[in-house]
Amino acid sequence: MDLKPYANYLRAASAMIAGLAIGLLATALSLNAGYGFNSLRAGPWISWPHTGAPDIDPYARAVISRSGEAPLGRDQGLAFIARTDSDGAPLNADCDYRIVDPLPSARYWTIALASSDGRLLANSTERYGYSSVDVLRKEGGDFEIDVAREARPGNWLSPGQARDFVVMLRLYDTSLDADSPPDPESFPKIVKLGCA
Amino acid sequence: MRLNIPDRYLDFAPWVIATLLVAGIVHIVSVLLMPSVAPRDALARLAAYVKSAAPAEGLVVLPQMTPGGETLPFEDPAFAEAVCVYDLAKGPLRVKTNVDGEDYLGLSFHASAGRIYHSITDRSAIKGKIDIVVGDARQIDALASADEGDAPPPQEVRLTAPAKRGFVLIRSFAKRASDQERARNRLSTISCQRFDLPQG
Repeated sequence: MDLKPYANYLRAASAMIAGLAIGLLATALSLNAGYGFNSLRAGPWISWPHTGAPDIDPYARAVISRSGEAPLGRDQGLAFIARTDSDGAPLNADCDYRIVDPLPSARYWTIALASSDGRLLANSTERYGYSSVDVLRKEGGDFEIDVAREARPGNWLSPGQARDFVVMLRLYDTSLDADSPPDPESFPKIVKLGCA
Repeated sequence: MRLNIPDRYLDFAPWVIATLLVAGIVHIVSVLLMPSVAPRDALARLAAYVKSAAPAEGLVVLPQMTPGGETLPFEDPAFAEAVCVYDLAKGPLRVKTNVDGEDYLGLSFHASAGRIYHSITDRSAIKGKIDIVVGDARQIDALASADEGDAPPPQEVRLTAPAKRGFVLIRSFAKRASDQERARNRLSTISCQRFDLPQG
């Protein structure tokens, strides 16, 4: 069969199909990369304050409507997520971590573990996070939170049987400026203690 | 200047450009359409829960978060939460509560398609009260024109919602795990009611 008379149609069709595939791939990649533009970064902690404001960008809207989450309002506080430790290595539930002072000023804060898609991690303690009120502090007000599968004295969070996890830091009624880069020194460190 | 490109590559150039144009359009359209086609966004999840929990409208307290039992992902387990799913086609909405000024209470107003158009905490309460009316542009106009006259100025905050459908999410902080019950009780004192516009 002689396809020559149809060559341009075939080319147009392959341009359409290839364009469709590349466009959808670009969408999938960009939506998995985070919540659009204007992120705040401080060490391992990342926040997207615009997801809670009317000026949310189209990428962030696409991401949150796909994941089904309802972000924290911009005037309520800031939610930070850490997917790595302070050295930049991805958080691994086979390893033990320690989350150490300091914290930016806020009326209340909470530190909680979650799966990478935002679910609570089943564990035997039924504790999923600490707040500024119920965390145990040392003399002078400092605190440490240990993340480990095995029980620890003091503040202990367990990732249960999950393979990986994220740490959520939420600052409620914080005075932190969402429009300028925060000082990483004012954020907690996530220190890897060792791996099983 | 003469570029030294073989002719057969130039033949393909328009098709490559066409492919990239199509890819760009597909990318932009798919990102913009995502909020309206995503089947399991926060509004859909909350509306499904409200429907299964109670047929009545108004405020519905969400179950305490457990692994596998979360209504929404990425919520703070230290909180008790309640939701008020609304459809302004049926009339404007009033959210009202007293606050004690001690415990954190956050109210966020979400339009369908993932946009928060207003959010406050108990800190912005006026004289210990939160009183917010949500309506579409026509309903807010009607309320404003009903005010004209000798009546004292309204005490409530009026919000124009960008879409007919949406939800109000209320988060009540439980400082300790043992405060969950108290945080839930605070939620149940909040009223979220549809009301009729004044006639006239």
